[in-house]
Amino acid sequence: MTIDSVTPVTPAVQTAPASQLEDILPLSPLQQGLYFHATFDEAAPDVYTAQLVLDLEGPLDADRLAGAAARLLTRHPNLRASFRQRANGEPVQLVHRRVEVPWREISGRDPDEVAAEERARRFDLACPPLLRFALVRTAPGRHRLIFTNHHILLDGWSTPLLAAEFLALYTGAEPPPAPPYKDYLAWLTGQDRGAAGEAWARALSGLDGPTLVAPDLAGRPPADPGRVRAHLSEDLTGRLDAALRGRSLTLNTAIQGAWAMLLALLSGRDDVVFGGTVSGRPPELPGVERMVGLFINTLPVRVRLRPEESLAGLLTRLQAEQAELLSHHHLGLAEIQRLHGSGPLFDTMTVLENYPLDTAAAEVGDGLRLAGAAGSDATHYPLALAVVPGRRLSLRLDHRQDVFPRAEALRLLNRLTRVLKAVAADPDLPLARLDLLSGEERALVTAQGSGEAGGTTTPAHADIVSAFADRVERDPDGEAVRAAGVSLTYAELNGRANRLAHRLTDLGVRAGTPVAVLLERSAEVVVATLAVAKAGGAYVPIHHGYPPDRMSWVLADTGAPVLITDREPGFAHGAAVVRVDEPYPGGRAIPAPASASASAPAPASVPAPASAPAPGPDSPLALALNDEPGFVPQYDPHVRVHPDQLAYVIYTSGSTGIPKGVAVRHRDVLALAADHRWDEGHRRVLMHSPHAFDASTYEIWVPLLTGGTVVVAPPGELDPDAIARLAAEHGLTALFLTTALFNVVAEESPGAFASLREVLTGGEAASPEAMRRVREACPDTLLGHVYGPTEATTYATYHAVREAGGTAPPIGRAMDGMRAHVLDRFLRPVPPGAPGELYLSGAGLARGYLGRPGLTAERFTACPYGEGERMYRTGDLVRWTPDGELEYLGRTDVQVKIRGFRIEPGEIEAVLSRHPAVAQASVAVHDNRLVAYVVPAGPAAGRTASAEELRAFAGGTLPEYMVPQAVVTLGALPLTPNGKVNRAALPKPDISASGRPPRTPGEERLCRLFAEVLGLERVGVDDGFFDLGGDSIAVIQLVSRARREGLTISPREVFACQTVEALARGGSSGREILLPLRATGDGAPLFCVHPGAGLGWPYSGLLRHLGPDRPVYAFQARVLSEPDYTAPSIEAMARDYLTHLRRVRPRGPYLLAGWSMGGLIAHAMAVELREEGEEVGLLALLDAYPGRDAAPDERDVLPELLSAIGYEGTGEIGDVVAFVRERGDRYAALDEQTLLAVYRNYRNGVKISQEYRPRRFDGDVLFVTAAHGREADSPTAADWKPYVTGTIEDHTIACDHASMLNPGPVAEIAALLRKELQ
Amino acid sequence: MTNPFENPDVSYLALINDEGQYSLWPAWAEIPAGWTVAFGEDSRQACLEYIETNWTDMRPNSLIRAMGE
Repeated sequence: MTIDSVTPVTPAVQTAPASQLEDILPLSPLQQGLYFHATFDEAAPDVYTAQLVLDLEGPLDADRLAGAAARLLTRHPNLRASFRQRANGEPVQLVHRRVEVPWREISGRDPDEVAAEERARRFDLACPPLLRFALVRTAPGRHRLIFTNHHILLDGWSTPLLAAEFLALYTGAEPPPAPPYKDYLAWLTGQDRGAAGEAWARALSGLDGPTLVAPDLAGRPPADPGRVRAHLSEDLTGRLDAALRGRSLTLNTAIQGAWAMLLALLSGRDDVVFGGTVSGRPPELPGVERMVGLFINTLPVRVRLRPEESLAGLLTRLQAEQAELLSHHHLGLAEIQRLHGSGPLFDTMTVLENYPLDTAAAEVGDGLRLAGAAGSDATHYPLALAVVPGRRLSLRLDHRQDVFPRAEALRLLNRLTRVLKAVAADPDLPLARLDLLSGEERALVTAQGSGEAGGTTTPAHADIVSAFADRVERDPDGEAVRAAGVSLTYAELNGRANRLAHRLTDLGVRAGTPVAVLLERSAEVVVATLAVAKAGGAYVPIHHGYPPDRMSWVLADTGAPVLITDREPGFAHGAAVVRVDEPYPGGRAIPAPASASASAPAPASVPAPASAPAPGPDSPLALALNDEPGFVPQYDPHVRVHPDQLAYVIYTSGSTGIPKGVAVRHRDVLALAADHRWDEGHRRVLMHSPHAFDASTYEIWVPLLTGGTVVVAPPGELDPDAIARLAAEHGLTALFLTTALFNVVAEESPGAFASLREVLTGGEAASPEAMRRVREACPDTLLGHVYGPTEATTYATYHAVREAGGTAPPIGRAMDGMRAHVLDRFLRPVPPGAPGELYLSGAGLARGYLGRPGLTAERFTACPYGEGERMYRTGDLVRWTPDGELEYLGRTDVQVKIRGFRIEPGEIEAVLSRHPAVAQASVAVHDNRLVAYVVPAGPAAGRTASAEELRAFAGGTLPEYMVPQAVVTLGALPLTPNGKVNRAALPKPDISASGRPPRTPGEERLCRLFAEVLGLERVGVDDGFFDLGGDSIAVIQLVSRARREGLTISPREVFACQTVEALARGGSSGREILLPLRATGDGAPLFCVHPGAGLGWPYSGLLRHLGPDRPVYAFQARVLSEPDYTAPSIEAMARDYLTHLRRVRPRGPYLLAGWSMGGLIAHAMAVELREEGEEVGLLALLDAYPGRDAAPDERDVLPELLSAIGYEGTGEIGDVVAFVRERGDRYAALDEQTLLAVYRNYRNGVKISQEYRPRRFDGDVLFVTAAHGREADSPTAADWKPYVTGTIEDHTIACDHASMLNPGPVAEIAALLRKELQ
Repeated sequence: MTNPFENPDVSYLALINDEGQYSLWPAWAEIPAGWTVAFGEDSRQACLEYIETNWTDMRPNSLIRAMGE
């Protein structure tokens, strides 16, 4: 390497040094943009370094060439500019009188290396000149001149002008001077910026967000771009030109239109923006075509793609839209974006380089000739397309290699070529028929989109009834169902189902008749489900978490004439009720010890109480049985079932405010059951999902129709221990878990699955970390990631998770017989990598929505890929991976999932909007919580509604999981430019409301743990865990995290205490007679008396609504702490409790409240207190009624609980425990001992309530009536009149008796109490 | 973001297949094989109303025939 010389060359102009500065000029808009980008990150390579390379052949006088370079700077003052910021931040360009031209001469080196070196050296914008020359001698008589400059000085248009001038100067010529750049800057100041601003605002109006192909790039340093090229053939170029000329379209329009089509595909949008480079040289400026400087501007090109348009139609419209903006090209991009009120509008750009540098060899003079020239400049955009016209149209795509690898960039360029080909071939082609896929891409998405045809697994029977009959015939003694204490063979199950089917037929069930099913999880679910199918009907499972109104609605919507249940329904309906709470005459009891432990989710270390009931009809927990063996025949009813008949109807949330019933055919169930993926491992499948959840289809029918066994989980939440235990005891081989539960198990006990053949999980965004943990802990267990809407019969796609990496696993490939289509807005298949909506066709596609033809026709649409076939539009956004698996990206609409439940915010919004005090409502999800945003109806409505009231209102019609956990009142809903609710702009709610900070390290730790588990920033010591959105899964997490920190709390304590304060106080067994729910506060304490169940915990829901100053205590039945105790009478209980009460508060006034039987006791306490001359400040009776007829047996929380156990015939306390756990509410942590006590108290309560003869209370009563579930002869508040001297103020709230202390109603009750206490 | 089936600005068709099943269909899109136009083109709402009115038995024709009705 030899550096011949490094000689600074001084321009000839060396005027008096009066000032170093010749001029101070403003920056043009594009210069401002570049200035910003160049100074953004001064450490990174400056991608705005441009380069021109000239290959010179022949004898060369280097000194003369250097002199010519210096002359250039003399002639063009703007090349001598430096850039600085004024004190006020405004950048200016300083034109220096005199600068030295960096010039170096090099020989013996690779010129490319030198060029790269020259490019890599950053220009300091403050140090002029922002250009440099390097002359590399490559061989005798061969030189390469490398001219490097910062883009802020020159644009690509100016470089060839400058090169020509440079070479002319070398020969000694003196071309006429070009007008100075300063003239242009002066012209700029004379333009009407206001009018330009308006024109741009019009052009961008209604634009719904920017078009960013790499939205995550913001803030990342620029990267050196890669570059790929393509050339159109001469023939194609000619045909394209002709096609465009024929329609008066320019090449630039064609390029922009084509880019828009590509961008639409890439971004999944049909209204796209990208940067378009314009020359920026105003024609009215004299000599502008010869000026040297930076004129080019990159401006937003907004293109709306309309499916009904043809290619030429789009281009013609685009050209006209762009023409409107011609005189407004002088406005800077930054200003346009500011006017539009957005951030960056685009991150891709196109430029038509119709300023060809003459690359043809040219004589320079004196024997020197220009042998070639090449330019290099770049942009900061992840994708920049440059098109150079010519006999062969040349396409060049600069791409950020960290975003678009070379192969991907080449695919893009190929796709662009295909669009241009299409324009040349048939400009009238409708946009929707433009095929953007390569043959290879098409083959991939077609092949991978189709599930396996079924082949050997195609079922011989296409309806459930005959397929099941086949199984009975093949293996009548095989185990079909295993539940706690019960095992049914196929023959036995068949017999039981036949009997029930006969009863259904007798009740009028015929082909296609809907039959509602409201059952707790048990073997009976399997029997009933099968029986409905055998009778030809369609089962309609009802979720027990539905409020009564919704249950009534479902029965009315289906018109189900029969309801199969195991309880008093508790909601209005007109159906004939079939009670199945009877034992299994045909079932074999399996030995009690095994079943007892199997069915008890409580830790094995908890000993069963000595007095635990023995299983059997004499058990105190068993209900009277109505066993009528022989009354109904056991033979097959032989009802003919067609595969296209409906098997079931499952309701899901509906966006218009009404739930929709997905109607699934027998054929669909068979298709699911026949999938080859179940062949090996799915022999003994756990049934634990709610029946009304479509996973139950897999859990019941996959084992039953393939000769396997349905293992019925005991009621209750499934925790890691239970899974491991069930797997061991019942030889479980497979199960499905929702994402949330899977993640908890993965965190707590990833080895719980180790003995299983396969675990399926899905429903929400998967956690790769959870999957990795499970894969590592259970290397022999298959892990299936499944996806599917109810409309496609539970699972539509499947991915076997083998290597769980750092990213979410794909949802995989279509199930057998099913086909996945990923289509864009034009219903065209998209290539791998591009987002599109998932459509499903083929086997397993449901019939539609029951009784909703319009809705069905919208979602189950004609399928372009089959003859007369339909496809289901999922609303899910997905993309193909390069190897043909589907990746889930999100929703195309606003549907959300909470705890695995699919929720349409629109349904909640519709319900809230029906409240008279609400004008508008919007519902969004923040941190996994549903939040309602309401705009009050204003003074005209005459009232406002509190958050509690609105929640209670929503809870009247919506299931618990759809009731918003927070309500935020807004003056107006934020809107997008298109006038839609801007959900992204809805404020995050402050859910941590109480704010009372922790006072001790213990409280602080618990507050932190609460906040962590609930995903909140902070939690106050009075905030109830469940009020803040905690659910039973969150309890498991809380307990395990606490355990990890060495803090032992049990789920029961969390349920009992609920607040940090109560938990931190610790020591609570949860069973004490006087349970302090909140011991602190200056106000008079409120004493609440337990209902028939004997538990005081439910009152903790009052805490956060009564305010931190009000201490609250709850009385609990003595039997909880003394299992052998039996209260002789209500009065005795009252006297017992008064002793405790006086210890806490020796003198009145006393505030008393009681729900249900607790009302009777509170009344008795109040009577005693008054007789002793004490003051009773409040007696609140919550749906409590005196007298024999109103005994709590029918109206308390327990009937549900009781009816849940009778039909098992075992009467095991474990079932009861499990049942209440499944409720997932505050009762969920009751253990066996407590449950037994609850049951005792309840039974005894019924007796002593009936015996109770109230005396007269001297004072007033505040009464709260539960409005739902009442009948004409239900007791009323007036029944208290004989037992009260003062007034009875009756308030009614919209809930049923059993749910009075649920979050919604309890808030209303608290509001009433608060008012009364003021 | 305009889904092809949710665009209020374009016109639609109500298609029907041999099974008597209806489909909303954007008028700009090619009609898939096995489907014919039952109504339209017209507004989205009008097409849906037509379907609501005319698709009274949502069972496929082959099932109706098989059930002997």
